[in-house]
Amino acid sequence: MNSTINTINYFIAGYVVIFGSIIGYVISLYVRWKNLKQEEEILSESVDHK
Amino acid sequence: MKKLTTLRILDIVTLVALLGATAMVFFYAPIERVMGAVQKVFYFHVAAGWVGMLSFLFAAIAGIIYLIKKSKIWDLVGVAAVEIGIIFIFITIVTGSIWARPIWNTWWTWDPRLTTVTIMELVYVAYLMLRQGIDDPERRSRFGAVYAIVGFLSVPLTFFSIRIFRTIHPVVIGGSDPSAVGTFDMTATMFQTMMVSIVVFSILFIDLVWHRIRLGKLANQVEELKFNIQD
Amino acid sequence: MQKGGSKVQPKTSFFKALFAVVWKDLIAELRGKELISAMLVFALLVIFIFNFALELDPKTRSALTAGILWVTIIFAGNLGLNRSMSVEKDRGCLDGLLLAPVDRTAIYFGKSIANWIFMLIVAMIVLPIYSILYNTNIISPALILVIILGSEGYVAIGTLLASMAVQARTRDILLPILLFPVILPVLIAAVKASAGILSGFPLTDLQTWFNLLIVYDIIFTSVAFMVFDSVVEE
Repeated sequence: MNSTINTINYFIAGYVVIFGSIIGYVISLYVRWKNLKQEEEILSESVDHK
Repeated sequence: MKKLTTLRILDIVTLVALLGATAMVFFYAPIERVMGAVQKVFYFHVAAGWVGMLSFLFAAIAGIIYLIKKSKIWDLVGVAAVEIGIIFIFITIVTGSIWARPIWNTWWTWDPRLTTVTIMELVYVAYLMLRQGIDDPERRSRFGAVYAIVGFLSVPLTFFSIRIFRTIHPVVIGGSDPSAVGTFDMTATMFQTMMVSIVVFSILFIDLVWHRIRLGKLANQVEELKFNIQD
Repeated sequence: MQKGGSKVQPKTSFFKALFAVVWKDLIAELRGKELISAMLVFALLVIFIFNFALELDPKTRSALTAGILWVTIIFAGNLGLNRSMSVEKDRGCLDGLLLAPVDRTAIYFGKSIANWIFMLIVAMIVLPIYSILYNTNIISPALILVIILGSEGYVAIGTLLASMAVQARTRDILLPILLFPVILPVLIAAVKASAGILSGFPLTDLQTWFNLLIVYDIIFTSVAFMVFDSVVEE
């Protein structure tokens, strides 16, 4: 069989995983940053009030 | 604030590079005759694999330097390198599996490289779990450094053990050397695409590590605030 | 590394300290027998579980014995390591040891050797019991050598990692998570060597595995020795 097999679905799946993982990680960095910033706000305020 | 602008510029460079490499993979690189479109997964699979393994080496070196110098920045580098290494190796393993399926009709082979890489991934997840279980920040950094070193040293030993294991007991699925099946001749365009992919992933790695270090610094600040309040 | 004797040293000699740590653990164990009995009972239970979990008719059994033995040793060893270091931490013995004017690495070697001895004692009891249960003599000098080499590597890195794991909140579950991926090379070499010995292969065939075990033992004992200071410093 000399014709190229159709593996386009796997190709798509592969790139979904690649970009999904990278974007997912970037989002996690962003979310963690936001949460920490919030905590920092709250904590600095309590320190100021002391 | 100069550092922040540099980071912003790097972000843009990374994004452009990543898009460029993707375009190159999608349009410039040819479709491989036998395997079809899925072979194109190979470019980012290899890039992520190389950069992922190098980042674990980074983490081990950062660990050594931290144990010697005790300066926090090296601990931050170590954690960043491990986290991002975990993501890149995850990509490597899953894309490897996706590539294997239509070519060798199996989601998994117990070949030495894939098995070692997966074990390596488990080591670094264990690293994160170790850090998570320790409350004292200084101890957390120290222990992380120790395990990053130990973990990295174990990887080549694991690889050789499995490889010898496999040559004495041939793999049942996939013939004698799975990496031989499914090889293809790389044309010049393919080679260029792969080199570009590796470079682009390295840039992506630096960008992500930088961001993760910033996050780490903020986390340390917050933790210190918490300790101060408890006093 | 401090060597006592001719030089005037304020610190206790390295080997004296090492011996003292080993002796303390052995004596403590002799009195309570907690650790070895727990490891032993656990090991026997694992063997019984394997009997029901796997089809162990005489034919397949010979292929599986090496694997069963080493899984048993690994799990019992893990138990021992955990208990051994937990006890130190809980009773504050570790802190006491660290206050003593003693080279830290002497403590490391002392604990490792003690753990090693415990593992070997358990293994030496398990081997004849397994032979009796399955009516087949598996004891041989070669197999004992493999067990000695394999457990050395296991204990070298295990003692280091247990010292860390015991200081974490997730103490009990953490040690196997840290230890198992890292000792896979030892496990592979030990199982392959054991299987070869049990199948009657000439030892020259198994040379590679013995070499791997020795290399692993040397590398990890050295690394643990170099790095142990960082784990127990305060």
